[in-house]
Amino acid sequence: MAATRRPAEAVGGEPFQPPDVAWSGVSARLASARRVTTCLPLALLAIAASALAVLLGVGWLWLVAVAVLAGASWAWWTIGRQVRSWRYAEREDDLLVRHGLLWRTVVVVPYGRMQYVDVYAGPVDRAFRLAKVQLHTASAHSDAYIPGLNPQEAARLRDRLASRGEARLAGL
Amino acid sequence: MNTIDPPPPARAVAGPPPPVADGAWHRVHPLTPAIRSWQALVVVLVVAVQDAGQNVLRQAAGSGLDDGGPDAAWLRTAAPVGALVLALVVGVLALSWRMTRYRVTGEALELRHGVVVRRQRRARLDRLQAVDLVQPLVARIFGLARLKLEVAGGSGSSIELSYLTDTQARQLRNHLLAAAAGLTYQTPQAPEAPERPIAEVPVPRLIASLFLDGGVLVGIVAVTVVIAAGLAVAGVAASAGLLPAALGVVTVLWRRFASAFGFTVTVSPDGLRLRHGLLEHRAQTVPPGRVQAVQLSQPLLWRGRDWWRVVVNVAGYTGRGDNQRTENELLPVGTRAEAVALLALVVPDLGIEPGEDALAVVAAGLDGDGRCPGGYLTSPRQAVWVDPIAWRRNGVRVTQEVMLVRRGRLRRRLGVVPHVRTQSCGISQGPLQRLLGLASFHLHSTRGPIDPVVPHLRERDAADLLSDQAVRARRARRTAPPERWLERPDSTSDRTGQPSAGVTPPTA
Repeated sequence: MAATRRPAEAVGGEPFQPPDVAWSGVSARLASARRVTTCLPLALLAIAASALAVLLGVGWLWLVAVAVLAGASWAWWTIGRQVRSWRYAEREDDLLVRHGLLWRTVVVVPYGRMQYVDVYAGPVDRAFRLAKVQLHTASAHSDAYIPGLNPQEAARLRDRLASRGEARLAGL
Repeated sequence: MNTIDPPPPARAVAGPPPPVADGAWHRVHPLTPAIRSWQALVVVLVVAVQDAGQNVLRQAAGSGLDDGGPDAAWLRTAAPVGALVLALVVGVLALSWRMTRYRVTGEALELRHGVVVRRQRRARLDRLQAVDLVQPLVARIFGLARLKLEVAGGSGSSIELSYLTDTQARQLRNHLLAAAAGLTYQTPQAPEAPERPIAEVPVPRLIASLFLDGGVLVGIVAVTVVIAAGLAVAGVAASAGLLPAALGVVTVLWRRFASAFGFTVTVSPDGLRLRHGLLEHRAQTVPPGRVQAVQLSQPLLWRGRDWWRVVVNVAGYTGRGDNQRTENELLPVGTRAEAVALLALVVPDLGIEPGEDALAVVAAGLDGDGRCPGGYLTSPRQAVWVDPIAWRRNGVRVTQEVMLVRRGRLRRRLGVVPHVRTQSCGISQGPLQRLLGLASFHLHSTRGPIDPVVPHLRERDAADLLSDQAVRARRARRTAPPERWLERPDSTSDRTGQPSAGVTPPTA
């Protein structure tokens, strides 16, 4: 093992930053989409709680409103960081996908192992002009996906993955 | 393609049977609908007999009372309706049988079925992963068998031909395997490959192993204790409620016993052949190069006898449904020598450096830990905080050809994944691991019981493993042997059943 060790790049205990890799991020609109679906209902809940507090004159409802609002702002902040943590990189022979803040993962999927590539876009995704690319191999564990891509970028990635996969296709 | 000389007939068959791969459409055996729905038929029969019996009894007891009674009126309307329903069901079954046809060619097996929605499925034989012959008890009585063909295509991609006669099914299997191997033959029938026995499981050992398995033992003890407590505190009535739990344990035990009963492993040029089953016979064939990952494991209480279980990941064997976990079992329980011999057959080349003892490396994986040699990369000391029991066992050894993953202190496990079968890989890190500077390495294999993970390595070790494994897997794929395993320029066409083992298995 020691013979194959790389020089200084990986120093600093950063296993999630392989050297010589140009990472691309996902669209910032993914954060907006997730904030709308998560923070908006929470904000409405907080407004409802404060309205009730005013109308009924119940003091502790204010506490509820504040707590919900705090949760919403924490979610707002976290979503931004989470979305920024999604990165992918196309290398010569494989695709790298990494994400996560507390629980971080990196997955390396060789092009020759891809069985098929899916592109999803739900109603919220479409409203924000987003698409998700999902890679499938013969393994259930290597479910690598990239959310929040521009539809054009998603289509480009899909075609590129498909053509590269074909060129390097291997049996099981 | 290799051509083999017409060998002596493998079995005595009355008259020259027609070739299997004639490219024409065939129907499955006419008894198929009856055997498929025998439970329903039995129910109908029992109800009818019971009814008739009651009628006879009633007439014998008080004749005349019956004529005007409400029962008789009900019977008069119910009988025709029942007969109609029965006729309808029989008709549908017969129609579905008529619509089911299969065709075998040199390259593929095709199946057409469906009455309302017609389906046609084609399986390319060079993509074949495994062939199973299954004989449920009822089918066995009538001399029929089901042929199940696994091709790599995710769940539900297998083709099942049910039912064929025993002879037909075996001839078909031989043809499929010969075609998948890239072999042509001159005889009308594909020759049956000679077999060499590797291991078998004696019944006493099987029973002992079942009772010594941790989960089952815990189940038995828990149910016994609870029932005893119930009897002591609340009497018989309360414990009767626990009967389902007891039944559950018994069912699990029985299933595993019945499926592993009479387990034998043989090896042939077709691959490994596993035969097992008490009521339902199963003969599985896993061709060479189809095993994606293999794992030797040992529950705590098997340690005294040094017994091991061998399971594999094979694409298509999903390990779900009614044959949960038995499908993927290469050996339900065996001695260490048998298990290692099987490992050597499934992974012929461990790719260990010349001059190093392959058996010692495997032994270090089976029961060694971080303090013994064997070239394993292990968890550092700080892993004790996240994995207090097994941290010394965690380890991975990378050779030219395979990755050996060692885990588990109470239930020891050694997984082996050839680089050429690596699907993808990754690393993960939780918050605690991050504090300690640790990361886990994941190797992704096809769906199955084995999920090779090397937990709690040093961050840098994990990162190096990730980048190096991607390169190794790519290099291995380039030099991978062909899917048709006998179609090799340097291969001889003898089917003698001698594996080319890089590891010399200890004499079993």
